[in-house]
Amino acid sequence: MPGPVVRLRGVSKRYGDFTALDRVDLDVEQGEILALLGPNGAGKTTLISIVAGLVRASAGEATVLGRDVVRDYRFTRRAVGLVPQEVNFDPFFSVEETLHFQAGYFGVRLGTERLEEILQALELTEKRHANTRSLSGGMKRRLLIGKALVHEPRVLFLDEPTAGVDVRLRQQLWAYVRRLRARGTTIVLTTHYLEEAEALADRVAVIDRGRILLVEGKDRLLDRQGGKTLRISLTAPIAALPGALRALGARLEEGGGAIDVDAPPSGSFGPALAALAEAGLPVGDVETRRARLEDVFVSILGGGAGKETP
Amino acid sequence: MNLLGLQTLFVKEVRRFLRVPGQTLLSPLITTSLYFLVFGWSLGSRIQEVDGVPYARFILPGLVVLGVITNAYLNSASSLFVMKLQGTVVDLLVSPLSYAEILGAFVAAAVARGMLVGGIMWIVGSLFTGFGVAHPVLALALLVAVAAGFAALGFLTATWAGSFEQVNFLPTFVVTPLTFLGGVFYSASMAPPALRWLTRSNPIYYLVETLRWSVTGRADAPPEAGFAVAAVLAVGALLAAYGVLRSGWRLRG
Ligand SMILES: Nc1ncnc2c1ncn2[C@@H]1O[C@H](COP(=O)(O)OP(=O)(O)OP(=O)(O)O)[C@@H](O)[C@H]1O
Ligand SMILES: [Mg+2]
Repeated sequence: MPGPVVRLRGVSKRYGDFTALDRVDLDVEQGEILALLGPNGAGKTTLISIVAGLVRASAGEATVLGRDVVRDYRFTRRAVGLVPQEVNFDPFFSVEETLHFQAGYFGVRLGTERLEEILQALELTEKRHANTRSLSGGMKRRLLIGKALVHEPRVLFLDEPTAGVDVRLRQQLWAYVRRLRARGTTIVLTTHYLEEAEALADRVAVIDRGRILLVEGKDRLLDRQGGKTLRISLTAPIAALPGALRALGARLEEGGGAIDVDAPPSGSFGPALAALAEAGLPVGDVETRRARLEDVFVSILGGGAGKETP
Repeated sequence: MNLLGLQTLFVKEVRRFLRVPGQTLLSPLITTSLYFLVFGWSLGSRIQEVDGVPYARFILPGLVVLGVITNAYLNSASSLFVMKLQGTVVDLLVSPLSYAEILGAFVAAAVARGMLVGGIMWIVGSLFTGFGVAHPVLALALLVAVAAGFAALGFLTATWAGSFEQVNFLPTFVVTPLTFLGGVFYSASMAPPALRWLTRSNPIYYLVETLRWSVTGRADAPPEAGFAVAAVLAVGALLAAYGVLRSGWRLRG
């Protein structure tokens, strides 16, 4: 059985007295999308940068496909694609030139077919001859993604790839990311849009102040930490809950105008609905709400830093 | 070795300076022409000869040395500095290019610009002075070594620099004064003692004299001295740039 594609063992990074990463262990498995989540300054970019070769770890070992990222950098860097968090562009060159150069650095000649595919997937075909300086912010970010893909990396690191990308294109990028995974590319994604992590990730890693707090399958995490809530809105407020509903753990909300019933993710609301019908309350609307990654995330980080900046 | 990577970075660096030919090629051409009009012609009609060499022909080698030095230095310095500023240096740092390959491509492109500018200056100047060169191969070798050395210095400076002002410090406050006080326009042996002493303790003087010897066949200093200065400069600066790049200082966190 092949080992993990990316493997970190005891990786630390210190800047003077400050510890940006603290003995991090992490495995990224072949073909998965791992969302690396954490508040600003948690160490996400630092972690990614160590694997991509931009930052040197102060301690510990990082490998890609079993090879050390420092000793065997030629091999590991060919296997890794990085979309950096900070947008960069070379004002001297066009979109196409930029992609050709980037491929060249990796020792690859960018074939026409591959070039077309990248331009199309990132909707840059129209701008292929435009100077990169003249691209809009979102387009520049798309070009960054294109640059990371020119050498067909086995592992792709996306450091906030959709910041500033419009809604339609974000959906399209998600589709493209899924397509890449379907072809076997392993993907590590950081994002502050938890909805994005929820839509894409197979597993979620939460990092805070340089420490990994949790790594778990997204569905399991949502099942374990989350649940669902049934909300019954009433057309007229009531003073007290009928006993049958109270016995099911229902709560009165909105000053008596609504009833909430919680259930585990795979639980049933059947008994609650039956009790509701039995009580003959004036029901206006019924909706269920599943716990979102955002709720789970906030509860893991215990409020504080996580609340403002997931 | 990542030959395609090296070649790509070299081509990119050369295209970069060719994209702004006004700044990189035309401006040195105009400057040289002006030097010739002012010093070569107007002064030349009074000074006529230095050491038996017509004055215009006497000053050309020094001007070429200055052009090669400044352009080789500025090419790697401004390119790397802009990459640092724009963040595009990341593109190189995540690639499988080795340190030697990165440095090699930068230096080669800077040497190309230095030699191109030097060549343009030499052609323009020779229109005034005639095209004869006593030791063409040695002249080329000297200039390539000088260009490589200053390209590496430019790379080092850009690695360190936090502002364009710092990038421009060396050419403005060191190289240009040293070149002008390095016997470009005068012969040290004909200068007053204080200036003569100052000139002879200036390493650039030996570069100027050796190129002058390569072109005219005569010089005020032993030609070996210039080759020695160029070799020490090139090897020293390249090794230093390689060491700094390898250490990751200011480039890799
Ligand atoms: N070169 C550096 N020198 C000093 N401290 C640094 C350096 N780079 C990063 N840090 C610190 O390390 C910590 C982690 O930074 P990092 O960029 O990895 O955070 P992040 O999780 O990516 O945050 P964000 O969500 O804001 O992108 C921060 O406190 C940051 O200030
Ligand atoms: Mg970050």
